[in-house]
Amino acid sequence: MTSARFCTFSEPLPYPEAVSLQKRLVDARITDGIPDTFLLLQHPPVITLGRRARTDFLLADDETLAKSGITKQFSSRGGDVTYHAPGQWVLYPILKLSQNEMGAHGYLHALEDVALNTASHFGIQAYRKDGKAGAWCDQGKFAAIGFKFTRWVTSHGMSLNVKPNMNGFELIVGCGLVGERVTSFQGVLGVETCPSMDAVAEVVAEVVNEVFQRETELIEPEDL
Amino acid sequence: MQVPEDLKYTESHEWVRLEGDLCRIGITEFAQSQLADLTFVDLPEVGAKVSAGDEVAVVESVKAASDVYAPISGEVVEANETLSDSPEVINEDSFGEGWLFVVKPDNVSDLDSMLNAEAYRALLPEE
Repeated sequence: MTSARFCTFSEPLPYPEAVSLQKRLVDARITDGIPDTFLLLQHPPVITLGRRARTDFLLADDETLAKSGITKQFSSRGGDVTYHAPGQWVLYPILKLSQNEMGAHGYLHALEDVALNTASHFGIQAYRKDGKAGAWCDQGKFAAIGFKFTRWVTSHGMSLNVKPNMNGFELIVGCGLVGERVTSFQGVLGVETCPSMDAVAEVVAEVVNEVFQRETELIEPEDL
Repeated sequence: MQVPEDLKYTESHEWVRLEGDLCRIGITEFAQSQLADLTFVDLPEVGAKVSAGDEVAVVESVKAASDVYAPISGEVVEANETLSDSPEVINEDSFGEGWLFVVKPDNVSDLDSMLNAEAYRALLPEE
């Protein structure tokens, strides 16, 4: 098992700050200044567009977004358009993938496994859809994926809808998938039985160890 | 895994072919295989000055975006525009039709410090 660090943020982190934090960690990871590091955090409401995102998949103009308290950011990750908000965990692994470990496809599969295994821990029957990245259950898609390699160090990653305000998803065609329903743990389990954000975070931290074969040490944001 | 003998390589999996006083540049067969089916390519502008190690292009597959770095300093004199419509050519022929851009290097001798085929092959996982 490779040692690694896992850091959960208790307060939502604005998207641009998360981008600069990841950039700093990626640079440090490339030069082996830090071990593999997983960030688990929430963003204030934001719609982000990947490099090849088609703006017609963003259904709201800037004014509507501003009224809804949602900002818009362009992102260097792969993938199309997506929405983040409190109540959704975002997992950003900063991993140096060894040449023998996995390529983009294996990494995508591993991120999907994190979403699927976490959902299944809470009794949600979840599955992949062929040819599409992400994780689904019968009620819709609950995890979205988009990542970047910088000299084979990963950044960006996966978002998991636990209990976000789902209104923001109505303003986008999520991941460019037309007619795709989006759901959350709360949408599947109901308000009463939906686990807390903290409970989900603990499970994600365990699942990450299994899926990526890492032995993670929990650290605080100030130790990053 | 193909690693042509007549090319130079970088640790970040770019290749360089010296053609007269120009360098044709692409990503290796190993790199394209790791990224899987490419769906999008962002190329440098012709006329752009680049320095070795600069992020100059982006290739994107499934949900992964990956930077491509300039292996050598110089001026971009040509970019493979056909890739915009058919990025899958990089998967099919990474050392040939799937080239990304051509640089007129400031110093051709910079190539000497790059990896040869044998050194690059040693970086790849055992087949």
